[in-house]
Amino acid sequence: MLSTSRARRALRTIGMVTTVALFTACGGDVGEDGASGDAGGEAEASFRVALLTSGPVSDAGWYAGAYEGLLAIRDSLGAEVSHQQTRTPAEFDEAFLAYGSEGYDLVFAHGSEYQDAAMRAGPRFPEMSIVVSGGGQVGANVVPLIFTLWEGSYLAGMVAGGMTESGIIGMVGGVATPPAQGTFRAFEAGALAVRPDATVLEVFIGSWDDVAAAKEAAVAQIERGADVVIHNTDGASFGVFQAVREATEGGAQTWAIGMNRDQNDIAPEVTLGSAVIEIPYAFLQVARAWQAGSLGGQPVYEGFREGVVDFVPNPARIDRIPAELLDRVRAAGDSIRAGTLEVPGIDYVEGEAG
Amino acid sequence: MTARWLPAASALLALALTLALAAVALALGGYPPIEAFGALVRGALGSPSAILSITLVRTVPLLLTGLAVALAFRAGVWNIGAEGQFYAGAVAAVWMGLQVGGWPVWIAVPSVLLAASVAGAAWAAIPALMKLRLGVGEVITTLLLNFVAIDLSAWLVHGPLQEPRGVFPQSESIAEVAQLPLLIPGTRLHVGFALALVLAVVLAFVMRSTRAGFFVRAVGASPDAARVAGRVRVARVVGAAFLVSGALAGLAGGVEVAGVTYALYEDLSPGHGYTAIAVALLAGLHPIGVVGTAFLFGVLEGGASSMQRIAGVPAAWVNGIQALVILSVLVVDRVVRHGWVAGGRDG
Repeated sequence: MLSTSRARRALRTIGMVTTVALFTACGGDVGEDGASGDAGGEAEASFRVALLTSGPVSDAGWYAGAYEGLLAIRDSLGAEVSHQQTRTPAEFDEAFLAYGSEGYDLVFAHGSEYQDAAMRAGPRFPEMSIVVSGGGQVGANVVPLIFTLWEGSYLAGMVAGGMTESGIIGMVGGVATPPAQGTFRAFEAGALAVRPDATVLEVFIGSWDDVAAAKEAAVAQIERGADVVIHNTDGASFGVFQAVREATEGGAQTWAIGMNRDQNDIAPEVTLGSAVIEIPYAFLQVARAWQAGSLGGQPVYEGFREGVVDFVPNPARIDRIPAELLDRVRAAGDSIRAGTLEVPGIDYVEGEAG
Repeated sequence: MTARWLPAASALLALALTLALAAVALALGGYPPIEAFGALVRGALGSPSAILSITLVRTVPLLLTGLAVALAFRAGVWNIGAEGQFYAGAVAAVWMGLQVGGWPVWIAVPSVLLAASVAGAAWAAIPALMKLRLGVGEVITTLLLNFVAIDLSAWLVHGPLQEPRGVFPQSESIAEVAQLPLLIPGTRLHVGFALALVLAVVLAFVMRSTRAGFFVRAVGASPDAARVAGRVRVARVVGAAFLVSGALAGLAGGVEVAGVTYALYEDLSPGHGYTAIAVALLAGLHPIGVVGTAFLFGVLEGGASSMQRIAGVPAAWVNGIQALVILSVLVVDRVVRHGWVAGGRDG
């Protein structure tokens, strides 16, 4: 049993706390107002662009690149921008509905997980264009955006093939998705093009972010003789760099190659270079295509030729890579650009020839 | 005596305190609280479409899992496993939903929902048996089984249930006949909402006016007294409450798959099974109260996304504020009902 007077007393105390908190909040508000420079609310902004991610844009990788792209569209094209991080697939349809009813022109759904919801939302909001990064289905206003990272990965493979002494090269992948597997097929082909007798080890750890598992996998490959290790993971890549660094410190020169973004500064003393995607640049190009009215009906490929995918040698260690090898890599890059070198990849867009 | 106005006053005050604390948090982060709350209200309640297609759709899984928790807690069964039972139901619903192509809707949909309920009950049967046969406390077992269910569903979408091309970590969409019909055409509101409301009323009636409900309440209040004075077979009541609770949580997962996502994904639930505990406790474990509190949390969740979209508040802040809300709601509720005394006894 509880007494009403005690409950009254409790209510009164809580009421006081509430009042004080409200005053504090409103007081704090005045000073902070100017600090938030987000959400450009210019009245004349007629181009409205939104971004959906299913991970935090503070990941310094895949999602961060997309957010930078969104901000680049705001700054370069004067668009009004908005971002939502969805927590569950149940929020996908809702997010498209919200942006559709608020009259957004272009929505970047940054991950293949959005494709089904995007295909449902497309016909419902014909005025809105939806771009699905890594998507696999095309609609009238639903556009898969495919980063041909395998082109950069092929060049990375050439460097690995040229730099390995043992002839054994390791690849540590996150989740065995076709895009990830595609980068490894290309990497392998690049390595074999330079060193035909090379052995390539491949393992997928089943997670993009498990640093410990990635390190364990890299250590195992190094113990089997690998002296160049590339990864295709997100946050887990730190484990690979750690393993390579520790092996080198232990006396066996071992090299790492970064992927997805320029990771040359993570472990600069043991990194040869990185196969990178310039996501912000790709987003900007897609937004420009939308403005020009040329977006829609077919997938958008952003790769080496478009200046979105590249292999970036590590400036701190470029002196260790033989000039002759670098020349070969550059020549291969030119051939990809010219269309004379076909890099093996995996195409997964439905209805597209592979 | 408990005054009649207390529960309502408690809920309102909890809301006010929560908003005040959230406002402080927002202001500290440099986000104008008024604008952020405006976005919240606009996103969740600002238009018929927002209410029907966002808030009520989000209310459904919270309502069903909330009922699951309320029933279990009433029987003195501390089922912390609604989350895992939700996943078990979702997996079963997807599996069944992939088999029923070509069936008539009126068989396909019930089959899917039945499969989900059975799977949820089966998942709850594991800790129920462990409790009744081995005396293992259900708080730990139900909690741990959540992680098993979550990881199992993640494995399934990379393996046996992955979409046929084997490209994306998700299942194929369930057959169209297995997808829940819309309650109001042109919105996203599906019949799962009506089903959940009906179940809340049924559960309230059962708890209040039937023998079974009386047994549940008696066992929850004092198992020993129920056994000695009422000759209640306590193990049976506990087992039944466990299974029905699991079935409700499993149904929540099935309804979410058949009514909203149409496919199995990793991370299908943002923690509905845990939010459900707050939903149930705030409602005083009363099924009709759960309808209200589930709606309240539906508003909060729907509005939270809108805070990101319209007011530019980052997801991490929004999630933190939601956690703050749940915490302060529970604290205020507890304090108002039981006073400040440490270890105030359960109602």
